[in-house]
Amino acid sequence: MSDDIIVLKELSKIYGNGVEVIALNKVSLTIKAGEFVSIVGPSGSGKSTLLNLIGLLDTPTNGQILLKGIDVSRASPDERARLRNRELGFVFQYHHLIPEFSALENVMIPMLIAGKSKSEARERASEYLKAVGLEDRLKSRPNQLSGGQNQRVAVARALVNHPSIVIGDELTGNLDTKTSDMIYELLRDLNRKINQTFILVTHDMTLAEKTDRILRIVDGKLVCELLRQDDGFRTTELCDLGEDGGKINLK
Amino acid sequence: MFELTVARKHITSDPRMVAFAVLSVALAIGVIVVMMGMMQGYREDIISSTVENSPHLTVEPKEDEDYITLYRTLSGIVWQYPQVEAVSPRLLENAAAKYKDQVKGVSIIGADPLQEDPMMRVSQDMVYGDYYDLVFKKRAAVLGTKLAEDLEISPGDKFTLVRENQSLQLEVVGLIQTGTGSDQTLVYLPLETAQELISQGDVVSQIGARLSDINAAPDISSDLNARFNYEARSWQDQSRDILEVLDTQQVMMILFYVLIFIIAGFGVANTMIMTVTRRTKEIGILMAMGARRSSIVKIYLTESLILGPPAALLGCLLAYVTAKLIEAYPIEVPSEIYQVSSMKVLLVPEFFLYAVIFALLINFIAGIFPAYKASRLDPVQAIASL
Repeated sequence: MSDDIIVLKELSKIYGNGVEVIALNKVSLTIKAGEFVSIVGPSGSGKSTLLNLIGLLDTPTNGQILLKGIDVSRASPDERARLRNRELGFVFQYHHLIPEFSALENVMIPMLIAGKSKSEARERASEYLKAVGLEDRLKSRPNQLSGGQNQRVAVARALVNHPSIVIGDELTGNLDTKTSDMIYELLRDLNRKINQTFILVTHDMTLAEKTDRILRIVDGKLVCELLRQDDGFRTTELCDLGEDGGKINLK
Repeated sequence: MFELTVARKHITSDPRMVAFAVLSVALAIGVIVVMMGMMQGYREDIISSTVENSPHLTVEPKEDEDYITLYRTLSGIVWQYPQVEAVSPRLLENAAAKYKDQVKGVSIIGADPLQEDPMMRVSQDMVYGDYYDLVFKKRAAVLGTKLAEDLEISPGDKFTLVRENQSLQLEVVGLIQTGTGSDQTLVYLPLETAQELISQGDVVSQIGARLSDINAAPDISSDLNARFNYEARSWQDQSRDILEVLDTQQVMMILFYVLIFIIAGFGVANTMIMTVTRRTKEIGILMAMGARRSSIVKIYLTESLILGPPAALLGCLLAYVTAKLIEAYPIEVPSEIYQVSSMKVLLVPEFFLYAVIFALLINFIAGIFPAYKASRLDPVQAIASL
């Protein structure tokens, strides 16, 4: 198995019948294990579509998605469900925890879906909640926790099945700077410690600049790719900086 | 099974939704069980009053003949069947009863009390006087209570019984109440007096028999028909019409139950659809975490099914209480139309079993559409929904 955890080949997504809307236009991309990637771009640029495709929530119109070298772009709904459960972890903008479930129970769900026993799920969920600093809030429901705490529960839920990739969609979009930094530190720590791969879609350039690789999408096309080098970023050859490329601290 | 965990959580966290879904099914079940109980009570009442108020077996004259002359010999033959408990030769006729300026059409039964009473248990229905008085008093009659009321006659009074050219002065010695429509027309006479009224000599129009096993009646009657020219009929033959009416009624009731079912089903389906709509986002999240479509179906079907047993229990309880109330405060009905004087609810254990099956069935069927709808949601849109 190669290091390439996700390979996208000429990936397109076209919506609509009659009037076609090209949400994603022949995007090719390779993401390696352990990378900490952010996807940026204006609203409606197709970054969420890209994320949904990588997350196997949606199917591409054309092109291929290789997950750990296997083409999953035409996988059956059940197979995609299985892969989402085992290989992918999701963190959304609004934590999206199930309100009636306690923090512990929310974290247990992916394991229960995977068919793990309740006792095993409970044990591991507790460990993960401890890892995100919520060992004393296991029984709390989402409405009894702060936004940051809920987002940490969501991170624990995304990680608990040891996924290959964790996908974040504006995961700090709803949080204040301090909490947002805390969540970032949490992810970065996991990235260093267990080489966890992260792909985050974000509006927040401050967050994007902390990641190792920034992919910029405009109008469904990958227009720029920036790689971390020392304290700044260097552009790759395909970069077309466009109107707001200057915001990034280039070296 | 995580589906059960999620379904259970939904139920415990939304008592109002649960209450409405459970109540709609419980009410339907309560109504259906009470209706079934009423039908059962009515049916048993009709059958028992039919069986009690007419002979289990009758032998009537040969074709082309109006009366049985050799009734003593024939009675002896009927007695030969081991199931026969009592035999009574009877003379049945229609006549008019006249008292002061009241005249009523009556059905007379002329019979020997010593033979009639063991067969028809006349004494049990006597509300005044003694049926056996007719053994000694020849110019006497026992009248149905309603008939006596209509004629405004009291025991001890004398009335006139008229048939064609014959008329007889008779004294009312007793009153009988069978609880059926016949109380309006019934007149018991000594056999000889009835024979005198119709002036055909020593004849009867029917031989009735009581059997220890009422189900033996059809066999005995066909045996008698095979051996003699007399027309033997079982009570089942005689009550065929009424049994058919009861069966038709049952078919109509089943249609009625189905309608109640459908209504209750829509109640549950509606609640479930609301739940699914409210939980669209959650369904999307579960799908994102890897729940298959079949799991989503399972969650909502399980949820719907879990509501079945409490609905059944509540429905049964409701039916039981209603039945007890109806028993305590009987609903009077006109016996001329319904043949019984009050509605009775008879709950048999099977009804409660049906109730449980009904409840599960309604909930299952009502849960299918919402569960299917939930499972077809697009995860991306579901998550993005508000």
